[in-house]
Amino acid sequence: MDDRRATPPTALPAAGVRAASIDIYAPQWRNFIFVAPFLFFFTMLLLVPLFWGMWLSFHKADTFSSGNFVGFGNYIRLFHDKVFLQSVWNTFYFVLLTVPTLALIGLFLALCLNRRTRTAAVLRTLFFSSSVLSVTIVTLIWRIVFIPNVGLLSTIYGWFGATAPAFISDPSLAMIGIAIATVWWCIGLPMMLFLSALQQIPQDIYEAAALDNANRWQTLRSITLPSIKRTFVLVVIVQIVLQFQLFGQAWLMTRGGPNNLTKPIVLYIYDTAFRRWDLGMGAAASEVLFILILMAAMAQYLVTRSKAGQA
Amino acid sequence: MTADIEIRNVSKHFGAMTVLDDLSLFIKAREFIVFLGPSGCGKSTLLRMIAGLETVDTGEIAINNERIDHLPPGKRGIAMVFQSYALYPHMSVRDNMAFGLENIGMPRDLIDARIKESARILEMEHLLERKPGQLSGGQRQRVAIGRAIVKEPKAFLFDEPLSNLDAALRTRTRIELAQLHQRLQSTMIFVTHDQVEAMTLADRIVVMNNRKIEQIGSPMEIYDRPATKFVAGFVGAPAMNFVEAMLDRSSRNATARFADGIAVQTEIASDQTIDGKYTFGIRSEDVRIVPAGQGNADGVVDVLERLGERTLVYARLGDGQQIVGSDAGNSRVAVGDKVGLAFDGRKSHLFGETGRAWHAREV
Amino acid sequence: MRAPAISIKGRAFGDRVLLALVILLSLVMVAPVLWVIGLSLKENAELMANPNSVFHAPYTLKNYVNTIGTSSVFVWVFNSIIVSGGLTLGTLILSSLAGYGFARLNFPGRNVLFVIVLFGLAVPEQAVLVARHQIFSMLNFHNTYHGLILPGLSASFGVFLMTQYFKAIPKELDEAAMLDNASRFRTFWKVLLPLTVPAQATLGIFTFLGAWNDYLWPLISATKKDMYTLTVGMASTQTNFAQSEGIGFLMAQAVFAGAPILIVYLFFQKYIVTAVSGAAVR
Repeated sequence: MDDRRATPPTALPAAGVRAASIDIYAPQWRNFIFVAPFLFFFTMLLLVPLFWGMWLSFHKADTFSSGNFVGFGNYIRLFHDKVFLQSVWNTFYFVLLTVPTLALIGLFLALCLNRRTRTAAVLRTLFFSSSVLSVTIVTLIWRIVFIPNVGLLSTIYGWFGATAPAFISDPSLAMIGIAIATVWWCIGLPMMLFLSALQQIPQDIYEAAALDNANRWQTLRSITLPSIKRTFVLVVIVQIVLQFQLFGQAWLMTRGGPNNLTKPIVLYIYDTAFRRWDLGMGAAASEVLFILILMAAMAQYLVTRSKAGQA
Repeated sequence: MTADIEIRNVSKHFGAMTVLDDLSLFIKAREFIVFLGPSGCGKSTLLRMIAGLETVDTGEIAINNERIDHLPPGKRGIAMVFQSYALYPHMSVRDNMAFGLENIGMPRDLIDARIKESARILEMEHLLERKPGQLSGGQRQRVAIGRAIVKEPKAFLFDEPLSNLDAALRTRTRIELAQLHQRLQSTMIFVTHDQVEAMTLADRIVVMNNRKIEQIGSPMEIYDRPATKFVAGFVGAPAMNFVEAMLDRSSRNATARFADGIAVQTEIASDQTIDGKYTFGIRSEDVRIVPAGQGNADGVVDVLERLGERTLVYARLGDGQQIVGSDAGNSRVAVGDKVGLAFDGRKSHLFGETGRAWHAREV
Repeated sequence: MRAPAISIKGRAFGDRVLLALVILLSLVMVAPVLWVIGLSLKENAELMANPNSVFHAPYTLKNYVNTIGTSSVFVWVFNSIIVSGGLTLGTLILSSLAGYGFARLNFPGRNVLFVIVLFGLAVPEQAVLVARHQIFSMLNFHNTYHGLILPGLSASFGVFLMTQYFKAIPKELDEAAMLDNASRFRTFWKVLLPLTVPAQATLGIFTFLGAWNDYLWPLISATKKDMYTLTVGMASTQTNFAQSEGIGFLMAQAVFAGAPILIVYLFFQKYIVTAVSGAAVR
């Protein structure tokens, strides 16, 4: 900590030699020391694997060795693999099920709970609480809800003498079951994002609207919703990025079944690379996912940049 | 402990923009000097260059004849009080003051003695254990000065230190600063855009505008004999009256003739003046209000500002030009009245097209 | 929306409908959890006979006693604490240093490097998973604590957050420290770092939670049972669902694993919410 001598002792410039005037903001190599530790880990654990993965995707590789160069062979095999195409479709289907639901319920909750009352605060805490649980616990909870016989759902249906839908085993319902568990798990984030957007709308606009005799519906439509348009787009994109990465719920609730109908891309990668040890093909699949997510992330970047879009 | 500061041919550019253009200035030891000018004139940049926070592009800065512009800020032996005070928010007042001394490895007992002495001078012994967040604006300002004093610097630099205080506190702190200077007998450089602060505090004022020094002089020199039209207009409130004028140089003293025939006999030597267009200038206190027809010109009163000890009269001449004159505190003049304006020729100024000024002969 | 100043009948009705909807949704949030807690308090045999028995006595703590007595849950909790704690500490150190560097210091290539770090935000874990696994295999890092901690240290988010935070601190403080003869590191350590405590708390909790709940990387890296983290360990017991040990036991394990994190959440709610909102406003 004692670095008083970090600045070199100052000697008067020799006669005739004009020392340059000091510039405390000039670029200096020794300042690099502060960012070097992070950049080391960033390079070794993110950049190198990123390019290594691209390289792998052009090779036939297993755990310890990278085999022959196969060019686009892995990609060609990938797009001829019905399971992979199914998993891409599954992922899009899952995103389509969850993202609009999350955005709309999140917005609804934010609009209802954007008050300074104690009840609203408690409910906000409640709706966000599921987000801090791990995927393991969430799926455990929802399997116990959906499970026949002792499940919560079948118990409730039992009271009315009905049979509960089989959310895990019915091929047409399995993905919906996973989506329900996911919405339950992830609803906190969109709600919080909408809440923070709502709180940034200046109060005086509402006061002006009240003076103009606007009713609540008019206020909502002409003030609130336009003000959070950008946040809505942002929430949708953030959720697309997140839900594209579906893995744990599908793996733990259905193992991707029945008939690969709930197998998302990440699970396909996991299966291919770490259960069948076809690393090259797994890498190729992960590049496809990367490109999909990168497009969404670019959209997010553009939306965040265009602050002017905010009313 | 105190020192003179010399600035030699200093220039400063930010990209293509020149902020300071070939500036030279000698600040005597123990002098209280004020850099005065509108925002963006480069006065803060010059101060920060002395502190070492900005680069000197060309030229040199020396303290006691030793060049310092290649030294890092901490090695220059100067202390600075920032506009925002820049107190370390998580440190107590004592730690704020001790930090700089600890960094040069001063023994603890010496640090404590210095802090005690500075706190006594500034009458803030009772604040030493508090955090900046628990202090009022005036107290924070005091701590910022205290943090400078403990270092016993060769010179103090103040960057608009009073601008965050309310009006009453600003006046009081101004007086305290003047007393502090008396007491410490230290070189002080003070940057402000407030001409009252400059007038009241400075031994000498450096008026800056548009990358250049307009004038260096004592407050009364600046006020009575402004070197340029800019200085004349910037210093003094209300601003000096300016009227476009032709010059009659036929007699020993020049006569200024306004567009509508009004003439003012000045005491400015004709033979010093040159051909060309002029602006006639006179301060409001040098324009007396007299009955209509008895002054140099007549005007209709637009606005009255009663300041108590005197009344400012805003009168409109026939051609629409507004002149501010001054009358007694209990003036009977009312808005709409026609009044006469008597210009004091001894206090008249003339400004040429380049802004250069001519003043009355010195008595 | 604000509470209406004047009560109009239509509004009151609308309010009631909204309230009913919110209550319904909160029931959906709570009921599954209560169900799990209920099941965890019942004997397995009784549950199998009639699930409605959850609603009445007898209740038992036997499942919890079994959890504490027999399962590997303590080992997994310990592993999770080491991994999450280590990652949090590492992230705070690296992000603070780099955040100060990017926000305050100038060095050759700074802006380009910062853009590259920002680009890291857009790289999903899955894109580097396969290669990372292969590299770690070669280095023999699997089934070790550092094997579980290291990947998280490459996340850009903390650097981004800290850079923003350092940028918001007035530059005059650095300049005052400079005039006070403090070196760059001393300025960082004594003057600026203490001011970032709120951001440290936010980032710390965020990182800890993320690491605690991470599933994918521990699943493929920690393949030995005694190196499982809690998340992976819990998942591994789910395979023998409802069979050998019984539902009540599994539910007790779930409560045992979930309760601490929920309690932490309730304590640090404010910081978690800040972290979450801050994460998206980037």
